[in-house]
Amino acid sequence: MALVKSPKPTFVQKLKRFFLIDLIKGLGLTLKYNLGALTDKDAVAGHGIYTEQYPKVRPDVAPRFHGAPRLNMDPETHDTLCIACNLCAIACPEDCIDVIPMDVEIMVAGKPRRKKVLDEFIFDTSRCMFCALCQEACPTYCLELTQDFELATYSRAGFVWNREMLEQGRETVKYTS
Amino acid sequence: MHQVEIATTQETLLDSPEMVLNMGPQHPSTHGVLRVVLKLDGETVIDLDCDIGYLHRGMEKISENRMYTQIAPYWDRLDYIAAVSNGLVWVETVEQMMGLPVPPRAHYLRTILTELNRIASHLLWLATHALDIGAVTVLLWALREREEILKIFERQFGARLTCHAWRVGGMPNDAYDDFNKDVRQFINNFPKRLDEYETVLSENRIWLSRTVGIGVISGADAIAIGLSGPALRGSGVAWDVRKSRPYAAYADMDFDIPLGENGDTYDRYLVRLEEMRQSRRIIDQALEKMPDGPVNAKLPKIVKPPVGDYYHSIEGPKGEIGCYLVSDGTAQPWRMRVRPPSFINLQALKQMCLGHLVADVVAIIGTLDIVLGEIDR
Amino acid sequence: MWWRLSARSILFWERLIAEMLLLSPINLLNDLLLKFFSQETITFFVWPLIQILLVVTLVALWVAYATYLERKISAFMQARLGPMRVGPWGLLQPIADGLKLLTKEDFIPESADRWIFFFAPYIAVASAFIVFSVIPFGPDWAVIADVNIGLLLVLAVSSVGVLALILAGWSSNSKYALLGGLRSSAQMVSYEVAMGLSLIGALMFARTLSLSGIVAAQGSDSIWYIVYQPAGFLIFLISGIAENNRAPFDLPEAESELVAGFHTEYSGMRWSLFFMAEYAAMVVVAAIATTVYLGGWYFPFVYRLEAGGYHNLFVLVSVLVFLVKASIILYVYFWLRWTLPRFRYDQLMDIGWKWLIPSTLINIVLSGFAIFLVQALDGWRGIKTIQALDRGLNLTATGKVIMIIIGLAGVFVTAALLARINWRSRDFNLRTQRRNIRLVNLPKGKPAVQPGS
Repeated sequence: MALVKSPKPTFVQKLKRFFLIDLIKGLGLTLKYNLGALTDKDAVAGHGIYTEQYPKVRPDVAPRFHGAPRLNMDPETHDTLCIACNLCAIACPEDCIDVIPMDVEIMVAGKPRRKKVLDEFIFDTSRCMFCALCQEACPTYCLELTQDFELATYSRAGFVWNREMLEQGRETVKYTS
Repeated sequence: MHQVEIATTQETLLDSPEMVLNMGPQHPSTHGVLRVVLKLDGETVIDLDCDIGYLHRGMEKISENRMYTQIAPYWDRLDYIAAVSNGLVWVETVEQMMGLPVPPRAHYLRTILTELNRIASHLLWLATHALDIGAVTVLLWALREREEILKIFERQFGARLTCHAWRVGGMPNDAYDDFNKDVRQFINNFPKRLDEYETVLSENRIWLSRTVGIGVISGADAIAIGLSGPALRGSGVAWDVRKSRPYAAYADMDFDIPLGENGDTYDRYLVRLEEMRQSRRIIDQALEKMPDGPVNAKLPKIVKPPVGDYYHSIEGPKGEIGCYLVSDGTAQPWRMRVRPPSFINLQALKQMCLGHLVADVVAIIGTLDIVLGEIDR
Repeated sequence: MWWRLSARSILFWERLIAEMLLLSPINLLNDLLLKFFSQETITFFVWPLIQILLVVTLVALWVAYATYLERKISAFMQARLGPMRVGPWGLLQPIADGLKLLTKEDFIPESADRWIFFFAPYIAVASAFIVFSVIPFGPDWAVIADVNIGLLLVLAVSSVGVLALILAGWSSNSKYALLGGLRSSAQMVSYEVAMGLSLIGALMFARTLSLSGIVAAQGSDSIWYIVYQPAGFLIFLISGIAENNRAPFDLPEAESELVAGFHTEYSGMRWSLFFMAEYAAMVVVAAIATTVYLGGWYFPFVYRLEAGGYHNLFVLVSVLVFLVKASIILYVYFWLRWTLPRFRYDQLMDIGWKWLIPSTLINIVLSGFAIFLVQALDGWRGIKTIQALDRGLNLTATGKVIMIIIGLAGVFVTAALLARINWRSRDFNLRTQRRNIRLVNLPKGKPAVQPGS
């Protein structure tokens, strides 16, 4: 452990060192914070206290937040917007989406045609890394990652969401006290 | 698993003068699951060996079976503190291999957000380093600043930590509405906060006696081991990828790089604090100069770089992080190799720790600023 | 049916309140007890028992709420809130913690030494609490036992606490707990020397070892001994902090890279006993510092209550004054812990042996010289420096000024001598803070790819 070279101290520096000025400056700053916290004032900017008392106070979540997935529905007809194109499942790095289509008969210009629609949509949120590649891949803005981040369940099976859970959303308990 | 070179035998306490101590993977001060086996003579370290691999997730092997756009989220999990920088390495490697031009607005936004991430990573370094040495209050103050940056990331990218920030060809979304206002507010307050940290630490005699002369490594040794980042610059070697091989919009930015002199812990501490100030300067300039325009380029249907190999690196907060990509022309890479700065910086741990006391080992691990996600991949 | 109180019972309550405020002793309660016990039993057994109960309750509550205050004060310093959920503003937090620890599983490791493991926490708590029997919380009945070697008893009994550490570390049968216990106890023993020696300077003025006598000496001289002995106060406080293993001297218990401390294997109520012992020891050091240097329960103008005849009120107010002063020193404990980084173990032992002990010795010599000077100057050319000698060394204004000047000069002399002794010390040579980093603007290289549009 070699001694590190440093220049000889001047008299003022010696006095400062003797009177523990370096320690006192740090202590003064902490005292200022202590008093500022009592009055919720801060020397630089903002508040004196930075605690958000979750769950009493709900946090501010950004609009673009990658949260729980949701399948959007048409607001008027309440049909799903999903066209069962399977692009989200292909885009997912973790293979946690399973799109199960089915064929239905519809009449187009008097002739019966077969159309592929969505039957079941399985999303495994325990494997999901919330990277939003599926959201970007969806052509109809159906699959969307919402701002819900409270995804805890009591069992592993509870993490695998089916179409109904994805469309209706989940009821989570919001603690307010 | 790696066989540790120091024998951990069952010796009774009073028999031999040397003691083998295990700073196990579960430890509050080793920044992740790092196992350090120390051979001690009293309290002085006479031998040291690291045992890594506790966080190995097989990222490089996984990426051989994923498409190029799908690999980007995995890079965030490498150095999870500097996820935005890691994402930048990957997309720039792919873009440069494909020869894809990226719009200038994207370059500037990349610069701003990567520098914000550098500040966030250095703040976390300061927080944990001060915590290890005992000044607990600085931990919470630094995390409060980091919180502001993470809020900006949440509003811009949608996630705070593992952001999946960039896409090949640019970024998925333009800057959100209040982006300029938020970033300006942050960089206006930031210098005063840095002065606060300096008031508590930089001249404090206890801090000086814990960090001056501890963990010294000379410039020549640093180059020989292959260090990069602040660990290298603290020893006086002037090497910064942002200057020597500029990427993103760094060629247009005017900033200095701080260099230390003695290569000890205190110099690296000062270098990182000064780097935060320079980052703030870069963000300021980039906000002024940012052009308008699109933020992403037109991509082919499937991203397929031509056959060949390519290496690209950027200056991450921990050091030079690089990606070596071997492509065989298909939609999935043949081999992807990460150059992890923390892994290479960790090689210097033994040389830095020999002759110091056990309490210094914690300080030295803190000053190297390692992240186990990067070391183990 | 309070309006049906008879005249006799109203008189009873009036008398009780009047006596509690005014008179001493509390005759009414004494008369009540005389119905059951003899006067001797009451004087020597029942009253002290009541005092002990009060003091133990007070100290236990103080210790519990010191943990709460530490959390709140540290939170405010860190711009956050601290405990808020349990009770309003988190005030019931210590009770919640206590209940949780009581209900935890109490296990003793299989290979541990059962009986020593069992007794070690009790020794720690007992030694910390026994000290409170001689501390003067207030003037008359607020001190349980005014022993005339009070200060010596305090130092001796608190040394027994070190034994508890060693026993705890040994009986845990763990390599790291033993090493942690040995390190902690070596640190405590080193700083006890400095603690004891630093008190001698103030004792020269008080001329008695009895703690009530020291407070009375400060009272009769109308001065706090911190004014005469600033160096002594600082040294006592620093060694007290190191004695309690508190930051910045808490490497043995905080730096868990080597050892998790002597109390690794303890859990539940046993661990909380160690925790209480640590905080009680902090309160002891704060109380002794208050008594010897900050004037104890003495505060100017409070004595007028006594003169007015409100004796018991005087005692209560004095107790309050004492608690406030000791709490200020506790605040200094918390303040230092959450601001300063911690010393390394060798730096810690350096400070104890090479800096504090020489400065206490220099302090003793200088104080002795100062008193000799004041006594010599008394009566020389008509200068009167000494007022009285019966209750401590009481000085006139001239004498006080001379003493203060010599005290301040002594601080500089001490610093110069310490610098001379320790000129080789590595840490001492970190004379200035250097900003040896330089900013370099490197030439820009060629980018890998031209930024296109």
